[in-house]
Amino acid sequence: MTAVATSVQKQRSWWQRFFKSGREDSPFKRLLIHLALILACMISIYPILRVVSVSLRPNDRLLSTSLAIVPQNATLNAYRTVLVEKEFPVWLWNSLAITAATAVIGVVLAATSAYAFSRWRFPGRGPGLIFLLSTYMIPAPMMMVPIYILSTKLGLTQTYRGLVIAYSVTSVPFSIWMLKGYYDTIPRELEEAALIDGASRLSAFWRIMLPLSTPALAIVFLFSWMGAWSDYLFGRVMIASEKALWTWPLGLRDFQSQFQTQWGMFSAASILVMIPVVALFLYSSKWLISGLTLGAVKG
Amino acid sequence: MKKHSLAIVSVLALVGLIVAACAQPTPEVVEVTRVVTETEEVEVTKEVVTEVEVTKEVERIVEVEKELEPVEIVLWTKEGEADGGLQFVQSLADAYTAEHPNVTFEVTNKDVETLREDFLTAGLAGAMPDLLWTVNDHAGPFTDAQLVMATDDLFDLGKYVASARAAVQLGEKTWGVPISNGNHLMLLYNKDLIEEAPADTDEMIEKGLELTTGDQYGLVYNQTEPFWMVPWLGGFQGAVFAPDGKTPTLDTAEMVDTLQFLYDIKYTTPIIPAESDYDGADTLFKEGKAAMIINGDWSLGSYKDVLGDKLGVARIPMVSATEQWPHPYTSGVYFMLPVSLEEASEAKMEAVKGFISFVTNATNQALMVAKLNRLPALEVALDDPLIANDPILKGSADQMTVGTPMPTVSEMRCNWDAMKPEMGAVLADTKAPADAAADMQAAADNCVATLD
Amino acid sequence: MQYLTPDVIFNALGEVGSTVLFILLAAVVLELLVYFLWSPLTAFSRVLDRRLRVLGAVPRHAASTILLVGALILVVAMVSPGREPSPLAPYWPVPLLAFVLGSFLSPNLVKVFKPDLRLPYMLLAPAIVGLLLLQVYPLLWELNVSFTNLSPRHFQSPDFVGLVNYIEVFTKPVLKQVHFVPVFLRTLLWTAINLTFHVGGGMVLALLLNRDLRFKGLYRTLLVLPWAIPQVIAVLAWRGEFHYEYGFVNILLRNAGLSALQWLTDPVWNFLGMCLTNIWLGVPFMMVILLGGLQSISGEFYEAAEIDGASPVQQFRHITLPLLQPVLTPAIILGIIWTFTNFNVPFFINQNELETSDTLVTALFRSAFQYFNLGDAAAFAFVNFGILFVLSALYVRASGGLKGATE
Repeated sequence: MTAVATSVQKQRSWWQRFFKSGREDSPFKRLLIHLALILACMISIYPILRVVSVSLRPNDRLLSTSLAIVPQNATLNAYRTVLVEKEFPVWLWNSLAITAATAVIGVVLAATSAYAFSRWRFPGRGPGLIFLLSTYMIPAPMMMVPIYILSTKLGLTQTYRGLVIAYSVTSVPFSIWMLKGYYDTIPRELEEAALIDGASRLSAFWRIMLPLSTPALAIVFLFSWMGAWSDYLFGRVMIASEKALWTWPLGLRDFQSQFQTQWGMFSAASILVMIPVVALFLYSSKWLISGLTLGAVKG
Repeated sequence: MKKHSLAIVSVLALVGLIVAACAQPTPEVVEVTRVVTETEEVEVTKEVVTEVEVTKEVERIVEVEKELEPVEIVLWTKEGEADGGLQFVQSLADAYTAEHPNVTFEVTNKDVETLREDFLTAGLAGAMPDLLWTVNDHAGPFTDAQLVMATDDLFDLGKYVASARAAVQLGEKTWGVPISNGNHLMLLYNKDLIEEAPADTDEMIEKGLELTTGDQYGLVYNQTEPFWMVPWLGGFQGAVFAPDGKTPTLDTAEMVDTLQFLYDIKYTTPIIPAESDYDGADTLFKEGKAAMIINGDWSLGSYKDVLGDKLGVARIPMVSATEQWPHPYTSGVYFMLPVSLEEASEAKMEAVKGFISFVTNATNQALMVAKLNRLPALEVALDDPLIANDPILKGSADQMTVGTPMPTVSEMRCNWDAMKPEMGAVLADTKAPADAAADMQAAADNCVATLD
Repeated sequence: MQYLTPDVIFNALGEVGSTVLFILLAAVVLELLVYFLWSPLTAFSRVLDRRLRVLGAVPRHAASTILLVGALILVVAMVSPGREPSPLAPYWPVPLLAFVLGSFLSPNLVKVFKPDLRLPYMLLAPAIVGLLLLQVYPLLWELNVSFTNLSPRHFQSPDFVGLVNYIEVFTKPVLKQVHFVPVFLRTLLWTAINLTFHVGGGMVLALLLNRDLRFKGLYRTLLVLPWAIPQVIAVLAWRGEFHYEYGFVNILLRNAGLSALQWLTDPVWNFLGMCLTNIWLGVPFMMVILLGGLQSISGEFYEAAEIDGASPVQQFRHITLPLLQPVLTPAIILGIIWTFTNFNVPFFINQNELETSDTLVTALFRSAFQYFNLGDAAAFAFVNFGILFVLSALYVRASGGLKGATE
């Protein structure tokens, strides 16, 4: 260590040392970091644990003064009722099918469109990108009435088809921005080499761009999935009258009457619904983090 | 070569798509009637003896064929599962289908707000359901938009209780068919904690103060909704509308008195919790931590389950200052007929009318009383011993006698929305009752102005 | 009652599968159409351009702009807002003709129909059609409605009222008493508070996690859970926690010796409660994005900076922040948009419909759907849109732009 470096070290205050990301962290600093993270985790999961505890309570009590996560006389009755006596499995299955379809179509649409935005300059490119971002600026509830009118005229209501189209198109703008950013960082030389060898642009896309951008594609898949999974608005507009097609948000509404809610079943269903999402997250968390930014930062 | 095959494939695909899109499922109507006529014909040939009998059989076949046209009724109901209402509606639909196999139902539950919004939206899109089972104040917006039919000419409305009919009358016409009557608030009490209901508010406050300890409250109620305030307003002899039925009169001395009263029972002579919404009040009462609760007839079922014989029902206590009984709003649940029925087939209209008569016949009204603890809309069903012998239902019916029909005009919504936050502010001790009343009036006036 | 029988499973799979196939097939067919029509259209546009050059560029631009704008206005007017179809509907060939003529006259036509632009437009065709249906048509419908008085009392055939709705957005109370400007300022405050804590909290957590740490995976998973839980459930759970008697926030306060707060009825605490909930919901998203960004910054930068004697704060300001900007800027823009238009949190936490806790979006929703005043609501929505657009544009300019993203 040079003299300069040592003196610099001495000048650092405690909080400066704390936030430096280095490899030579003192054990004390590590302890503090662990404590901070544990605190953050507790804040993060406590409300969710409360939902779990409501689902385990013996009566339909949303409220109780006890802070216990596992209440007295805990029972799995709510889960049993939801799974066996209600049509919850059907709703869950519908949701799974619809969101899978949405994610697939969303990825396909976004992958091709983002390629166009990334690799070509054409009239309408700039305004097009801005338009994509601005589709999120109109609050969704406002769009429901005209979308319902249009879907009724096109015969898309009370079918899987209308819902899948609606979900895919809604997820496309964000997906295009993500993928475009990622494509921008893949050097054009790779495609140009292929073109020189006689391949068409489309086959260059298929054989070079797509394999290289698998992480970004996975992320787009996830985001499209998440967007469609918990959606209630479109579902209510498009398939509310066809009970066989209900997704789980529509089904949970049944647990509420004008003044009362069956909190036990509501909470149990909520927890059950989280499980596939958390599983999906865990499975793809690796891709989620590395892929999200590789595109942007390299550029 | 590649381009050509690509072109051929795409043309074929296009053709295939067009065919797939245009193909429609063939209706099964024809087949059903054909099957029926065949069996009928077979029976006829076996049993016919005289000519008279032959013609009778032929007439019967024709009748049967007409009745057997398959009809699907899309019914939207505000009944949810939580209080057993949806199950009841479904059971009625199933029972009707058992008697009339050609009529099937698609029963969908939508909560009150959702039902109103969705029906109006469906009206815009031209995709309305066939029948509504909903609350009375939907008549206001639905008649404004001309989306429901008047029922005076379609049914004999005289057999229903007058107050039930009154709640869906607008401009000289009736816009629905009553199913149940009530939906009103009453005083429910736990006999373990308080032996009998107080007769007036002074007594209520006195007993309440004794009962309100750290752990327990004398009285609980849903402090967030103005629905719980209007009975007291009636007790102080106020009303939300002028006699014309559509001009809000919220900035009145009676309203100030009401707000002051609610403030007093919370801060001056505290007998209610500091903050309590519907679930809070409900939980406290069920856990035995509240002696009295003001709640509606929809909650009777679950309280009966939890408290059994210890549940007492009485009128909301008389206001000592005015010596008037509070007037809770009574309404009920109603069938409403969307105008799309005018363009539907005769068979569908007959089926709808038949179902309505079925649901409101004496047997099913008695069933409803037993299952949902609601008072019937059919006048003769009120005499049912079931009601007279059940102290709970008797108390409920008694409260109804001093109730007042809930206004159903669209302006009522303006009143609800104006009252809610101001009442909340008074109860949060952030506004004086006089100011709150003035602000309520301003808000309601602004709102009514936008309706036109 | 429907049970999850294998029958139901296969039926759903079949229908959804056929839907996916149908949509993909439709997309492919559309693309092929574009592909094959391109060359003839290119040739045609070149011929047209040569013939029309006589007219001169400026008149052509002017004429085509007028025709195209006119076509747009006609289309908006033809959309029928009420139950009855618009009286202009039978004249639908007129805007179509205007559109075709306008496009043909424009000198820009050749710039579009270039032979090497065939592929991008082909690839974009399905997305364009989808967006036309599900974004453009609703926008046009809303635009039309914003110039009418569509409401329950004017339902069957609403009247054209011009700019009245737009003016009333600013002059009349949004719902009951509060006017536009206070609600707008409150929404700005809401957005600013939330975004600050989202980015701040996300940054802190990301910095903490950006090192070799035992249990890092576990921490990351647990911290991401608020994002994974469906928003409506989370918000309802939080509303339960703000309950005066039974919510754990007040229970904790009481146990700590402080007095309980009226979260649901007091204006200030209700607003803070909304912010708390939204912060809890939004930090994980930012954390994930920033963590990814941090991980991509090479450690060499930091080592070089240390040797040069830079303090951690200086390192943060001159290395971390600039290198994070390509990630941070889009994230913040989307954060602004999503927070500004967030509906679930303000709506459900504000159970008592306190006007003091309404943001622009919830006020809009109440006015639109509680009273079904769609004309007013549409005008309001467009004013909202305009504001958000300006805000985002301002942010982009202030932060140095989207770095060539839209070039």
